[in-house]
Amino acid sequence: MRFPSRLLTALSFFGAMVWAGFYVLVVAITVAIATFGTLTQSVWEQAMQVPRWFVLSVGVSLVTRFMPMYLAHGQTRRVFGLHAAVSALLLSGFYALLMVAGYLLEWLLYGLVGWPQALELPHLFTEPTQVPLVFVECLTEFLAWTGAGILIASAYYRWRIGGLLLSIPLGVGLIVLTAGAVGAEFGLPLGDLKLGVDLSSTPGVAIGTGLVAFVLGLALSWAIIRDVPLRNRLN
Amino acid sequence: MRIEVKDLVLRYGDVTALDRLSFTLEGEKIHGLLGRNGSGKTSLLSVLAAFRRQSAGTVRIDGRPVFENGAVTRDVSLIRDAGETVDLGTAEDALYFAEWLRPRWDAGYARSLMDLFGLRPKMSVKAMSKGQRSAMGVVIGLASRAPLTMFDESYLGMDAPSRRAFYDALLADYLANPRTIIMSTHLIQEFGPLFEDVVIIDQGRLVAHEDSETLLSRGTEIIGPAAHVEAFTTGLTVLDQRRLGPTSSAMVYGELDDAQRKKAAAAGLELGPVGMQELFIHLTGGPR
Amino acid sequence: MFDDRSPIYRQIAERIKADVLSETLKGDEQVMSTTQYAAFYRINPATAAKAFQHLVDEGVLYKKRGIGMFVSPDARDALRTERRRSFFADVVDPMVTEARTIGIPLDDVIRRIKELES
Repeated sequence: MRFPSRLLTALSFFGAMVWAGFYVLVVAITVAIATFGTLTQSVWEQAMQVPRWFVLSVGVSLVTRFMPMYLAHGQTRRVFGLHAAVSALLLSGFYALLMVAGYLLEWLLYGLVGWPQALELPHLFTEPTQVPLVFVECLTEFLAWTGAGILIASAYYRWRIGGLLLSIPLGVGLIVLTAGAVGAEFGLPLGDLKLGVDLSSTPGVAIGTGLVAFVLGLALSWAIIRDVPLRNRLN
Repeated sequence: MRIEVKDLVLRYGDVTALDRLSFTLEGEKIHGLLGRNGSGKTSLLSVLAAFRRQSAGTVRIDGRPVFENGAVTRDVSLIRDAGETVDLGTAEDALYFAEWLRPRWDAGYARSLMDLFGLRPKMSVKAMSKGQRSAMGVVIGLASRAPLTMFDESYLGMDAPSRRAFYDALLADYLANPRTIIMSTHLIQEFGPLFEDVVIIDQGRLVAHEDSETLLSRGTEIIGPAAHVEAFTTGLTVLDQRRLGPTSSAMVYGELDDAQRKKAAAAGLELGPVGMQELFIHLTGGPR
Repeated sequence: MFDDRSPIYRQIAERIKADVLSETLKGDEQVMSTTQYAAFYRINPATAAKAFQHLVDEGVLYKKRGIGMFVSPDARDALRTERRRSFFADVVDPMVTEARTIGIPLDDVIRRIKELES
């Protein structure tokens, strides 16, 4: 098998662009809070909710956009599956590094101006500068979120709404599982619902759980796409 | 590439799109695939390109099965309106992935085709007009140089000059790099002269498969006094019959031999050829 | 470029014959390739090849393997002989029929022909 170089290049570049834009936005919000109110905590920590959804959307676009392209360019579903797995794994790591970079840049900024970079939520790490722990936590979460994205998109691509009924609960399950492993809770956006599984939060358990969720998501996805017909229309 | 289709069936739930189709297409020719809307053209091409797996029957390309067979599919390209190979962002993005995944990609040729159709690399494919988006598909399809290249109505939205550019580019590239090309179309008069060989399907079944000249030689229009036309056409396959006062015109299907031609001349009947479009219209059953 | 009344390959063959008769194409001269014909007339090369095959069968062209198609040295003479044979049936008889239909006396037709000769 050849290496999915161009797929990775495209998605890394896209991710870096989105990250840069997002980072500028977060800094703007930070400055706004400090100017018009009192800054008491890390804004990047709160902002971390958003990148998960971006990572999920990358998983979705792998299936809905790149799978049809692979097949139309004469590649097999098997080749696509392998490329998607390798890409999702490496991209999760790359995006996790960007999150680490976000904390470090924030640490520099806060240090310069003298703001407190306090953490509010439960984490594997206690300080934003604990680079390996921050990386492991982000990677663990991203693995689960891409896996969930790929699974949900695969089921939707094949069965449309019916597929969502089946795959969304499974995807949420993968995410909840890993959220428990990093000591966090999974909150739906704009909702009070908090789900969680209590696992002992060590880096090893966390990364292991993340990988299990990832592999599980991909295995289920493979069962769905291994003989999937390409859809004829754009919808 | 030689294509063998045997008892091919494709069902979508209760709907049978392809109904025991069998035919063989020789390699290195331009084949026309004609059929009415919903006749199964896209379904057939999608099975040939391994976009879908057939429900029953076999499809072999150069003797090998197609579905999930990378050794075959890497030599097969199907460009259709769904736009799998172009809807990736900008035109440049589409070229970037095509170059990477298509083993015989010709980047220089792709650039010259982009110029031909007035496409710029930074254009967003989603923001393109329908005709430009179709042209983008044509660029990808031709520059891929796949030994089996298929275009499913790849001119949708193109104006007449762009269609002419597509026609000429396809023919020129085929002459320079002979390969097997299948083109489905409704524009029979416009694209007909391009086809060496024609497959006509209707309701998922094979109606005719002939080389173009043979197909055309099977159609004859007979004009003359109504009684004589009637007498002459008795026992022949009459596709269409019209009458204007004492004169009648009949379209028959099936080659006429010299004896029949002499008989017609003796009866004062005029014999004329029938265009591919006319034949198609009547072979696939008139208005529905 | 082509009318619908006869197959394209036959029309191409007729055009090449006309070129041979008018000596636009001379004996032992090479004719353009099927590829060039196909591109020029915007047709499938097989159709052009069929026209050539037709002319080879009729002895108008001959094939040099690996080089191309050439005009037979005696093609023009043969075509002229053939056309002469059918000239009255193909050209004169329909003219006479037409003249009668529209009421031109044959004497007028003959006078015209003599005028053209001088």
